[in-house]
Amino acid sequence: MTDVHTPREQAEAQGEETGSFGITETEPDATGSGAETGPSAGWLRWGWRQLTSMRTALVLLFLLALGSVPGSVLPQQGSDPAAVQQYFASHPALAPWLNHLGLFNVFAAPWFAAIYLLLFTSLVGCVVPRTFKLAGSARTPPPRAPRNLRRLPHSASFPSALAPGAAVDAAAAMLGGQRFRLRRPASGDSGHWVSAEKGYLREAGNLLFHLALLGVLVSIALGGLFGYKADKLLVEGQAFSDTLPALDEFHPGRLVSGSDLAPFTLTLDRFSASYLTSGGSRGQPSDFNASVTYSPSPGAPSRTYNIRINDPLPVDSTKVYLIGHGYAPVFRVTDSRGNVAYNEATPFIPANTGTFLSDGVVKAPDASLGFMGVFVPTAVSVGGTLESAFPAADFPAVSLIGYSGNLGMNSGVPQSVYQLNTAGMTKISGSPRLMLPGQTWTLPGGRGAITFVGVKQWVSLAITYDPGQVPALVCGMLALGGLLVSFLVRRRRVFVRAVPAASGGGSVVTVGGLARTDASGGFEEEFAELAAELAAQQKPEPNNQSEAGA
Amino acid sequence: MSVNLGLAQVSGDFLVAAIVIYSLAVVAFAGDFAFGRPRRAAAAGAAVASSERAAQLATVGAAQGASGSGAAGAPGAPGAPEAVGLADGAQAAPADAGSGGTGSGDAGPGDAVLPARQVPALRAVWEAGPWVRAAVAFSALGILAHLVAVVTRGFAVHRAPWGNMYEFVTALTCVAAIFFCYVMVRYRAWALGVFVMGAVVVALGLAETVIYTAAGPLVPALQSYWLSIHVTAMTLATGIFFVAAVLGVMYLVVERYRARVAAGKAQPGNGLVARIPSAAQLDKLTYRTVVFGFPVWTFGVIAGAIWADQAWGRYWGWDPVETWAFITWVLYACYLHARATAGWRGRRAHYLQLLGFASLTFNMLVVQVFITGMHSYAGVG
Repeated sequence: MTDVHTPREQAEAQGEETGSFGITETEPDATGSGAETGPSAGWLRWGWRQLTSMRTALVLLFLLALGSVPGSVLPQQGSDPAAVQQYFASHPALAPWLNHLGLFNVFAAPWFAAIYLLLFTSLVGCVVPRTFKLAGSARTPPPRAPRNLRRLPHSASFPSALAPGAAVDAAAAMLGGQRFRLRRPASGDSGHWVSAEKGYLREAGNLLFHLALLGVLVSIALGGLFGYKADKLLVEGQAFSDTLPALDEFHPGRLVSGSDLAPFTLTLDRFSASYLTSGGSRGQPSDFNASVTYSPSPGAPSRTYNIRINDPLPVDSTKVYLIGHGYAPVFRVTDSRGNVAYNEATPFIPANTGTFLSDGVVKAPDASLGFMGVFVPTAVSVGGTLESAFPAADFPAVSLIGYSGNLGMNSGVPQSVYQLNTAGMTKISGSPRLMLPGQTWTLPGGRGAITFVGVKQWVSLAITYDPGQVPALVCGMLALGGLLVSFLVRRRRVFVRAVPAASGGGSVVTVGGLARTDASGGFEEEFAELAAELAAQQKPEPNNQSEAGA
Repeated sequence: MSVNLGLAQVSGDFLVAAIVIYSLAVVAFAGDFAFGRPRRAAAAGAAVASSERAAQLATVGAAQGASGSGAAGAPGAPGAPEAVGLADGAQAAPADAGSGGTGSGDAGPGDAVLPARQVPALRAVWEAGPWVRAAVAFSALGILAHLVAVVTRGFAVHRAPWGNMYEFVTALTCVAAIFFCYVMVRYRAWALGVFVMGAVVVALGLAETVIYTAAGPLVPALQSYWLSIHVTAMTLATGIFFVAAVLGVMYLVVERYRARVAAGKAQPGNGLVARIPSAAQLDKLTYRTVVFGFPVWTFGVIAGAIWADQAWGRYWGWDPVETWAFITWVLYACYLHARATAGWRGRRAHYLQLLGFASLTFNMLVVQVFITGMHSYAGVG
């Protein structure tokens, strides 16, 4: 009683085996030998068999999961390069080692690529032969009925009023009506039986799932070759045209150049953000809206659009996303002779995304002046320190530290617009200076003056193009469809045998059933229904019943 | 639109009511565990009787299986759980104590030996005894209160009520409770109630005390109809995998006990384990549960990718939460494949499945809350 199945009957009824990527009940045979083709070919074949075996695939799949873990725990170059730099600064000994292992760019690392490429090779090595096998098995009839059907996992028997041949004919007609594929004994065979099989779609679904996964990989590669992503920071009132020099950042695919950019122009008319003003989550944003005017190509009529989060602007085949926002205080700097040396909205970078306390610098090299500033949209004093109480610009203020001297901007060394190199400069007395909009700080020593004119807002836009997007979606849906088919459809075989009854003219019919894979369950119910239907179909007359029951 | 505070209050009250009623259900399940009829022995006895009756002509494979374990007097008898896979009838429905006879009664006349058809669900509940009746009634009532709590929360905030961690846990436990009750009635697995519903009560209690978040509107990134598609799918899948994980742990317990009996280290017929379904049955139930949850999870990931493309301009960016959703998907795929491979079946496959649930839980409770990424919406702390 250690096994309800009888191996021989099982094997007979199962027929051919399927490969490793089918979720099947049997393990593929990985022990074949290629001795007749020479030792090296034999080794190659052995290696191929190992690679395409289920166990290898399983290990590779597990490694894929394991390999992804550092990509979520450590900062990644692709998504947050600043965090990687910070990690280098705080772990100077460890970081270079991690970097050597590619752990700051896991999903582009060679070892990660090796895992998934091996996995997909293993998959191809399994799926392609099985496609041919499936095509073949769709033409071959089910196996012969095993001798003893009662040893199958599901079995039933009942008396029939019909003679054995007619009983099997009737059963075959019913099974055929339910779109089972049938096999009857050849002319020379003895016995009355029929084999029936159904559910070939399961294998097709399984194949579709794995092939569609390959398709997803190809789609991702397509995006990596022909797609691009660009970033642009834009202050209210500013315009830009989608060309390489105008963009702040451009991440092209391998086969993309600046001339492939969509030739649109875009103006940010207004940006508005609203925040909750009461309740426990006071200050939480409730809406962002960037009103833009754009023209899809030079000379085309301009249109307006409201770019919001979850609602990007589609232009040609690219999309423009709202991915960030902040404040840009407007400053006017005059030099010692009263000439305007600087008059611009200056984007400040939020240091606190909850309150929008932001940092920024003003550089007026012509006046030999530089300022480091902190901007707060809603100013409050917390123990003498300037803080922001709310993210909306209800009571904006800036605090500036002024420097005079050479800003070093002509030295040839590139500088960030968000940082001030104060090495060759002297701090202006009176710093830090708190200013409200409209106020002017006349600098001591006749060095000039700075005016906090007002506040504008900026948005950062992402312009993306990914030709692999639609194929990836189609492949993803196909994979899901294949998965559902392979889980919901079960491949099952039903066998019917009839022998003459011990007494009387009827026969005794035995039905055996076998689900090759029953992932979602339910074959037992189906089999019970089927057996009951067959029994009812051939129910003996009452007088026959008493004979058969004797 | 502003939050309807009255409805939010109603939702909170109903959730507390649900927790109380669920607790009563757990008590009733535990009562069945402690004082209920020893059904397995009865079921096995009935199977012995029926198989004896049918022995001279034909036997149903599963009846053999049941009589085998019944004769040994214990579910953990050596060999019995080896009947993995395609067992039917008595294996799949151990609680069909009285129904074994009645079920085959209408199957056919004379010597016909036909597999028993299932007894209707309500009758099966009735026949399972007063403790189970009470437990099922409490569970149904609790689910009703739970559903009212989730729906009124949705109406209070004018959106799908799973926009933060508190709401997410509330919704996913509702899914788990409903799905489990379906599985329990479908497979007559009454003995699992105390474990699954117990876990639901604990999860809800933690949600109510540790991560409670007052009703409020969503941040702009979540204001999309994809919230109701992506997060709904993820909620459903998490609820289903939750049930699978509890089943998996129980499988490991039963399997360990079986191994100990086989090694002569434990007495067969241990009272607690005897009431839990057999290892083979738990194994099959777990597999079917994962098979049900996996496509839902896959759909949720795809829906999330579409939403990510709309909100952030890329459909996949290895954001920490995306990465862990991928890891979870791969681990469950591992389990599904492992179960097809002889050497990885049983305990090892279950470890993979539980690892999958661990990564799902880690994603939900650690990554979304503590690791900064684009999915930091939990609203906890």
